[in-house]
Amino acid sequence: MQKLGDFKLPQFFNYPPYFTYSPALSAVVAHALAHYFNVLHSEMNWVEDIPPQLNLLVSRPVRDTREKQVQLWKDFILDYCKTQHIFVIELEEEFPLFSNPVIERSLSHEARKAFLSALVTEGRAEWLDKGHRKCLILWHRIQDWADIILRFVKDNGLEDGVMTIEEIRSGIESRGTELHGIDRTILMRALKLLEHKGKLAIFKGTSTDDEGVKFSV
Amino acid sequence: MRRRPGIGGLQTAAAARDQYRLLGENVAKLRTDLMKEQLATFRSQLEEFARKHKNDIRKNPTFRAQFHEMCAKVGVDPLASNKGFWAELLGIGDFYYELGVQIVEICLATRPHNGGLTNLQELCTLLRQKRKSGCEAVSEDDCLRAIRKLKILGSSFEVISVGKRKLVRSVPTELNRDHNEILELAQAQRYVTVDEVERRLSWTSGGATDALDTLLDEGLAMIDDGHEDGKRRYWFPCVSSISFSGGARGFLIHKNFTCTQNIRCGR
Repeated sequence: MQKLGDFKLPQFFNYPPYFTYSPALSAVVAHALAHYFNVLHSEMNWVEDIPPQLNLLVSRPVRDTREKQVQLWKDFILDYCKTQHIFVIELEEEFPLFSNPVIERSLSHEARKAFLSALVTEGRAEWLDKGHRKCLILWHRIQDWADIILRFVKDNGLEDGVMTIEEIRSGIESRGTELHGIDRTILMRALKLLEHKGKLAIFKGTSTDDEGVKFSV
Repeated sequence: MRRRPGIGGLQTAAAARDQYRLLGENVAKLRTDLMKEQLATFRSQLEEFARKHKNDIRKNPTFRAQFHEMCAKVGVDPLASNKGFWAELLGIGDFYYELGVQIVEICLATRPHNGGLTNLQELCTLLRQKRKSGCEAVSEDDCLRAIRKLKILGSSFEVISVGKRKLVRSVPTELNRDHNEILELAQAQRYVTVDEVERRLSWTSGGATDALDTLLDEGLAMIDDGHEDGKRRYWFPCVSSISFSGGARGFLIHKNFTCTQNIRCGR
């Protein structure tokens, strides 16, 4: 079984077609349209999505194949990021999941964007920039991170305590927990959520390093 | 003796004919009776055999297949009904019924990947994974029998031959000869290009593309534009026998992909 470090790769990763963003249009329709617009048949892949009202342009199996491919990649990306503690994916950088040298295939930029966008739509990721080049991966949702923080607080008897942001991220107490090495943006979002619920108060120190939290759990 | 003329003579001849006819019928009846008796003996011996070897029939796929053949020779179908003598004696009716259900589940789960055409070998591998250890072993013969039963129920399940392989079709899509030829061509490398189809099957360019488009729209083919030579490849999942060693992750995204025979397996 092919591995990436310790991570077991799913079977679809070794099947070349899964690296081509599967068509949105039925092939017969695409062919006719290509003919009409006088472009190459294979260039009809620019069609990214078909609104439900135009479903007659898509055969059921074509839609199923596309959905399946997207679902497989979404799960794969989330799984991998969770086990490897990866929080940000940059589309233009090398990311192990996006290429498989064994079968000599890579996901196109369009495909990467499509799969990450699908994660964004599902609420499991967020674009960090307007150009959609950086993506924050929420393999735990913000709410889940908030729960993890509360559990951390209780486990360490910090119900009335104080801690700096950095200590939460990299202090001794966080070692061995999922909080260790957590992305700062995600941490701040989770803390803000808890602040909104009255579980803590965020205060700023003299510098970013001094930013801290007073818990009242 | 003087031939007796007149009515008397005719009566004698008629009587003689009757006698011969009766004799003929008796002989035929004797033969039929004998055969019936032999068949009855064979059947009861078969039943005795089944009783004695019930466990072997259940556990050993090869043995099971041979048993089926023996039954077929005497005109017995142990799977004809889920009730009745054979079902009670062997209890294998349930086995095939459940196998059928599992086959349907697998075909449904893999349909988005292979368009409803599944390699028989791959199906068996997936079945074995699904059933895990503790359940009875299954052979390809078992699968074929289960599918035959499914077909009788009026479903669209069928086993077709393409080249050297057997494929299980779980959708009503009929494959015409052109499509069959493409599938056969695809068995070599698991994919084809338009050029190859044109060249090897001597088709026109339009014809090849049309056929491949149809197969794409049926979900039987998948597109691969990633090769460095830039040529589009059409892959056919149904002709691949991809091994699924190492767990349920892979093509199947249904999380509840476990043995449905929980009671039987004792899980």
